[in-house]
Amino acid sequence: MRIVVCLKQVPSRDSLLRIDESQQWVRETDLSWEINEPDTFALEEGLRLKEKHGGEVVVVAAGPARAASAIREALAKGADRGLHVEDDALGRLDSFTVARALAAAIRTEPFDLVLTGLQSDDLGYGQTGVILAELLGVPHATIIMEVAKTDGGIKVKRELEAGWFQYVEMPLPALLSIQSGINKVRYATLMGIKKAKSKELKRFTPAELGVGLEPRQKIRRVYVPQKSKRTQLIEGLAKEAAAKLVEKLRFEARVL
Amino acid sequence: MSVLVILEQQGGVWHKMSWEALAAGVELARGLGRPVAAAVAGADLDSLAAELAGYRVERVLSVDHPLLAEYSPDGFTAALGQMIRARQPFLVVLPHTYQVREFAPKLAASLDRALVPDVVGCRVEGGEAVFVRQLFQGKMNADVAVAGEPPYFVSVQAGAFRADRLERGSAPAPVEKPAIALEAAEIRTRPLERFQEAKRTVDLAAAEIIVAVGRGIKEPENIPLAEKLAQALGGELGASRPICDNGWLPMERQIGSSGQTVSPKLYVAVGISGAIQHLVGMKGSRTVVAINKDANAPIFEVADYGIVGNLFEVVPALTEEVLKARG
Amino acid sequence: MEREVLETDVLIVGAGPAGLACAIRLAELTKNPDGITVIEKGREVGAHLLSGAVMDPRGIRELFPSEPIPALDTPVGREGVYFFTRGGQWKFPVEPPPLRNHGNYVVSLNRLARWLNERLEALGVQVFTGTAAMECLMEGGRVAGVRTDDKGRDREGKAKANFQPGADIRAKVTIFAEGVRGSVAKQLIARQRLDAESNPATYAVGVKEIWEIRPGRLDPGTVYHTMGYPLASDQYGGGWIYGLPGNLVSLGLVAGLDYRDPRFDPHNAFQQYKLHPFVRGILEGGKLIKYGAKAVPEGGWFAMPRLWSDGALLAGDTGGFLNGLRLKGIHLAIKSGMLAAETAREALEARDFSAARLARFGDKVNASWIREELWKVRNGHQAFEHGLWPAFFHLGAQMLTGGRGVRDRYPSEAGHARLLRLAELPAEEPVKIAADGKLTFDKVTDVYHSSTHHEEDQPTHLVIADTDICNTRCAAEYGNPCRFFCPAAVYEMEETRAGRRLKLNPSNCVHCKTCDIMDPYQIITWVAPEGGGGPSYEGM
Repeated sequence: MRIVVCLKQVPSRDSLLRIDESQQWVRETDLSWEINEPDTFALEEGLRLKEKHGGEVVVVAAGPARAASAIREALAKGADRGLHVEDDALGRLDSFTVARALAAAIRTEPFDLVLTGLQSDDLGYGQTGVILAELLGVPHATIIMEVAKTDGGIKVKRELEAGWFQYVEMPLPALLSIQSGINKVRYATLMGIKKAKSKELKRFTPAELGVGLEPRQKIRRVYVPQKSKRTQLIEGLAKEAAAKLVEKLRFEARVL
Repeated sequence: MSVLVILEQQGGVWHKMSWEALAAGVELARGLGRPVAAAVAGADLDSLAAELAGYRVERVLSVDHPLLAEYSPDGFTAALGQMIRARQPFLVVLPHTYQVREFAPKLAASLDRALVPDVVGCRVEGGEAVFVRQLFQGKMNADVAVAGEPPYFVSVQAGAFRADRLERGSAPAPVEKPAIALEAAEIRTRPLERFQEAKRTVDLAAAEIIVAVGRGIKEPENIPLAEKLAQALGGELGASRPICDNGWLPMERQIGSSGQTVSPKLYVAVGISGAIQHLVGMKGSRTVVAINKDANAPIFEVADYGIVGNLFEVVPALTEEVLKARG
Repeated sequence: MEREVLETDVLIVGAGPAGLACAIRLAELTKNPDGITVIEKGREVGAHLLSGAVMDPRGIRELFPSEPIPALDTPVGREGVYFFTRGGQWKFPVEPPPLRNHGNYVVSLNRLARWLNERLEALGVQVFTGTAAMECLMEGGRVAGVRTDDKGRDREGKAKANFQPGADIRAKVTIFAEGVRGSVAKQLIARQRLDAESNPATYAVGVKEIWEIRPGRLDPGTVYHTMGYPLASDQYGGGWIYGLPGNLVSLGLVAGLDYRDPRFDPHNAFQQYKLHPFVRGILEGGKLIKYGAKAVPEGGWFAMPRLWSDGALLAGDTGGFLNGLRLKGIHLAIKSGMLAAETAREALEARDFSAARLARFGDKVNASWIREELWKVRNGHQAFEHGLWPAFFHLGAQMLTGGRGVRDRYPSEAGHARLLRLAELPAEEPVKIAADGKLTFDKVTDVYHSSTHHEEDQPTHLVIADTDICNTRCAAEYGNPCRFFCPAAVYEMEETRAGRRLKLNPSNCVHCKTCDIMDPYQIITWVAPEGGGGPSYEGM
């Protein structure tokens, strides 16, 4: 199976973010970076499928030069090769634009299955995989908990709302967005880290791939959400206060 | 060119977020000075379409085709795509459901458009729609504007818009059934039976109502108190770090910087002090209620409603009142 | 899963300034990057590094004699040494010589290390981050490398689905540059009795914050050092305030870990420090950006252990290479790393890794400016044995006599041994203040600002030999000082049905090592948690 796993490099989860002077993004100096956590589950799923069915795992990332270290991390965990669409702007563009860049890179090779994470922990659009499926012209499914190979392609388990699930069958090539937490992500071994250095990492610029980077959405302003309402402290004995609160929740906040 | 709201139904039953999307569409339409239309996709939609027509919309578009009886990304994208190409709405509004997450980006991309997903607010500025999205797991918000030509696409987050203010029309709106050309071969995925499973894992990130317990609960034996409140509210039980550290609740119920990030429409913090590590996990909550005996607990700074009192008395009383209210 | 085994010529444990300088020098000398392995427990190089810092450029200029060094972008400008009283301050008319910093630079140790790592990668050596050394591999009394941390064990120590046993990295020479109170070095020092002839090691803890302040409030390169308030006159330590570019300021308090009153809380003392009018005036209107804490080896020349053993060398803070009076260790760490590299290279050429051969490291240190500098202040920390005012007298005498002072080889005492029992102390507790959330913060909020993260489901990394002592004896004798000296709220005592019990919050740990150093019964052993966990000290 030729498996492509898409990764994004995002600021570390525990990074303390500060808004930059333009107020359109966060200050990137002194940030540390990591592979977007939802993507690690996609990577792990890809590696498991390779171990089961043979083939190779190619990781693709679109981003500035620093994104190469995320690709190397994935290579250290067992991916075979990497593709990097390199451009400074790609770290913070919308899904549609990024998906176009990824699609162009992925199209340079044949593939059976493309795996993505559900969403990125920074911008959280949650659509890059789905758009990619459309651009690559392959069937897809999202929020996938299990992947099994069948004679005709794959059979996957999709998570629905409220505790419902559904199996879906589709032919290959296909694209899947993998649900977070479905597997325990492996650690890189020291040998893996060593070998990662010499594994192939192909770089492309968007121009080389014939992809323009005009964004379809623009972030006008980034800001820390301010609490607009003041805290209403509800007085009275327990029973009284409880009754008052329920009333507020029903008629004022309208959440009940 | 209208604001077109696409509602969701499954087996003849409306997804409740549909109404929130309709409310969002109505609000946007008003702000933009455009008419609002409603659409629904599926098969045998006559009675659902008629129900929709009772609301104050300009028209109802019933995207009705036998091959849409069972949802599929290919089917819905093709059918809705045809309808949108024919009708050329200005703005398409969808509820951000699991299903929409799966097909709406494809639908937009098939029309060479981008979708602004999961918005928590919107306003019209200088005749332009500006959408508010959460970034960095709720740590920040962003004002997003769309570029390029219409139609524009947006999906709205659960609980961001209130459905209770929807107005009924004085007369039923006209229902149209756009012609849809669809072949079975175009639908490449084969969905099988839907089934329910005892959820092995808790998905707090998707919960709409959460009751979270902190150290104030004192002992594991007291947790059922909070559990009953969660049940009465129809929500999930969560916890701050110390509770999970002690093993009183499994780690998947932990909310905070080292646990889950949640954004329910209602968050009830029971005996939680509000350490910053916890707050970053629930900042995206729409309405926060805090119950704590310490009036200075930082949790009150982020709460919309607070009761300073003994949780062992307040929580059971609250559970009772909620059950009463829900009948 | 099978345990990985790797072979290498030289293994360097720790990618701080000593470890990185050692690796860089070694790569230049041997031209064989494949024979050099560097491991680092932090998720990235620099993640666990923090320092004030005002650096003497001597070390780094020797390492890179002919290139521009980006870290040297903020030369020291205005300086001042102050004595703080509760409500005011007076300035030393003349800066005490050790605290004169003209010609030095205000730096971020974290950024410096990241740059050193880039230079190291350019030489073909990659640091294995997220990899902690747990114990030495011993072969007949000789250090033959280290075993690294197991990954994927749950809270009970059982293997999780992604369990991976630690690797055995076998090396001809292992250079321990783990920083202050290195955990594997501690084992080695004890086993080989490397400290048999040394003064007991003594330490201090530094609690640091970086603030964004109003523009123009403090020029970059401004260096202030303070003594006195909030530390008592019998306490070693002082504060610092350094102006950084970009409207940032680095400030902190260093408190000797040899104080008398077990109820003293260094983190709280730092909060009080920030409320002093001089400091407050700088911070007001600003915003806390980052927090961190780390111990500092203060013992000086006589407290340094023997730095070599069969198959092993100690460098940097692990070896005690720090000038406590000048508050500088980075340049010494770099130089010690370079000398260790030269020693290792000679050993490789001679194919002899015995203690006798590696003892050349000691000779090189003795012949270098390291000794020149540290010898002069060899009795420096000990001078403070009886408090601040007698110290001035002793230091004065030492300055006039090239460091000898009134008592050459002034002995020292392990800091924890100086703790008085509660029964011996006045009932009046030291002043503690509550956090206001604007200038002062509680420990938990501060830990959040250190970006500390650990895998939650792992065994506790603080090994306490006998928690009964905590619950009974220590509670009565010392009042459980761990609650106070830990700057990260890892240690708590709770009242449970079974009585008073120690409760640990290991995932708050910022790896400062204070607990390992200061617990009065020496029953706490700090062990590295699963590699990759810990603080993330960007910009610190």
